[in-house]
Amino acid sequence: MANPFSLLSGPEDLGRGPLFWAAAAITVGLFLAVPLYLSEFAAYNVSYYLLNIPMALGLCLLWGYCGVLSFGQVAYFGIAGYAYGVIAGNLAGQPWGPTVGSIGGLAAAAIVAAAFGYFVFFARVQMWILPILTLVLTLLLETFLGQTAGYQWKVGVVQLGGYNGMTGIPAFQIGDFVFSGYSFFYLALGVAFFSYIACRMLVNSKHGNVMLAIREDAVRTEMLGYDIRVRQWVVFVLAALLSALSGLLYVQWGNYITPSQVGLLSAALPVIWVAVGGREKLLAVVIGAYALNWLNYQLSSSGNQYALVIIGALLVIVMLFFPRGLVVTLAELAGRRSAPFQTPAAHAHRRSPT
Amino acid sequence: MTEAFILSIERLRKHFGGVVATDDVTLDVTAGDLQCIIGPNGAGKSTFFALLCGIHRLDGGRIVFKGKDITRMMPSHRVREGLGLTFQTNRVFGNLSVRQNLAIPLASIRSERGAGAEERYRMALQRFDLDRDDETQAANIPHHKRQWLEIAMVLAGGPDLLLLDEPTAGMAPEETENTANVLHELNRTGLTILVVEHDMAFVRGIARRVTVLHQGRVFAEGTIDEVTARPDVRDIYLGRQ
Repeated sequence: MANPFSLLSGPEDLGRGPLFWAAAAITVGLFLAVPLYLSEFAAYNVSYYLLNIPMALGLCLLWGYCGVLSFGQVAYFGIAGYAYGVIAGNLAGQPWGPTVGSIGGLAAAAIVAAAFGYFVFFARVQMWILPILTLVLTLLLETFLGQTAGYQWKVGVVQLGGYNGMTGIPAFQIGDFVFSGYSFFYLALGVAFFSYIACRMLVNSKHGNVMLAIREDAVRTEMLGYDIRVRQWVVFVLAALLSALSGLLYVQWGNYITPSQVGLLSAALPVIWVAVGGREKLLAVVIGAYALNWLNYQLSSSGNQYALVIIGALLVIVMLFFPRGLVVTLAELAGRRSAPFQTPAAHAHRRSPT
Repeated sequence: MTEAFILSIERLRKHFGGVVATDDVTLDVTAGDLQCIIGPNGAGKSTFFALLCGIHRLDGGRIVFKGKDITRMMPSHRVREGLGLTFQTNRVFGNLSVRQNLAIPLASIRSERGAGAEERYRMALQRFDLDRDDETQAANIPHHKRQWLEIAMVLAGGPDLLLLDEPTAGMAPEETENTANVLHELNRTGLTILVVEHDMAFVRGIARRVTVLHQGRVFAEGTIDEVTARPDVRDIYLGRQ
């Protein structure tokens, strides 16, 4: 079977060759050296751009590689965040509380995704209905969480808090080491980095090939002996787990979560990050998610009330002029001049008339 | 008696709304045979294959494959039992490379492939001039090679019964001839092949037994000469009936 390096340099993501890997190493190096040139506060903001990357990667796998658009990835983000808040909040003061909470958050998201996905994929719900169903799930969750303001909505010592949300969620810690400031930045960086590496290896593996095959032609894939329902289901749960990682990091970063995190606006954002970057390539999605979170933060922290309007307008422009995504299109333009970003797929799309 | 047959189909029925696509089709395929199904456009040939593979649900009837009732089995399980299908319109994965197209069925399939599966696959690759390391996008190879690629993909799974839906559609004469030769050789290694075909010259070149479908029913059966000698078969082919 393929060795790890050949999985990393396979054809199903952007970037190959020594020049690309050198650039990648420099980029990672610049991130690792952040404490040398950014204040702890600035690094904390960068953590926020990074922590959204796993959710974007999950949607990229699901939509770009498997052909299944979910409009409700934030549901799993929220479930993990709330579950962590409840568990870690009740175990406050215990050194392993946040670890147990994190595991509980991931498990809760995986269970909900597995149950929901089971009914959707095994009932062979048509793929154009799926975005609506996933959106409905997350909006139901928002509505439910929104009405938990009363004192009866208390789990142990933790108040769910209705639309005001859950506050005072404990930071992540392992034993006695609490992640905050620079150390939290490294945690977010590590999670984003290893999520990306794992996804990149997955899409270049034989399982990744089957995902692509399902996207291309589900019936043909089934007639090659694959139970496509199981495959789509597994990818769906995996994407939910990646969302859950983002949700965990989010509550560990800001120590609060509100129902608006699973609302319509929040649900649209991952779709925008993935579409603007280019849903068919993981690296494009990483760059897109990071850049748009940065842009959103810059616009809204400078008091610009039109941050979301600008992000929305960007989506429209990209969809009209670069339907395959901004980063993917730019990488292909670069690929015409030099090798590093070129993929066989990029070639084909240019030449093929279809 | 059914033991000699690799596939027994009893009274297969399917209608789409008011249109009867397959009407009481009963057909047996002997193991090791190379059999053709012919018929005019709309005779229900492709629907018949889709029913065999479970892509459409049956309204009635029974399908027994290798002694096992597969009537209610899922499509992917039928493939794992040893059915292999190529579609009428070529359905290779156009945006993936030839290598990936071949790797996908190879990575799937059956824990135990039938005897000779690997040799058949190698032979097909060689005779169809396909390279399993070819990184060209399948959409960018010539049409006839895409047709061949789809056959090779199905052979990669090591089927016991190969179902080919118009395998030579759109091919030049020499490509059609190569296809016929390869099918002959595959059949000689013991592979059972069932072909739906329009091109009578091609059918004459390969088939021992021919079944004529017309308006969803079995209209005639026999050798190609017997069948084509019948005036009523000629009539339906010329659209007179």
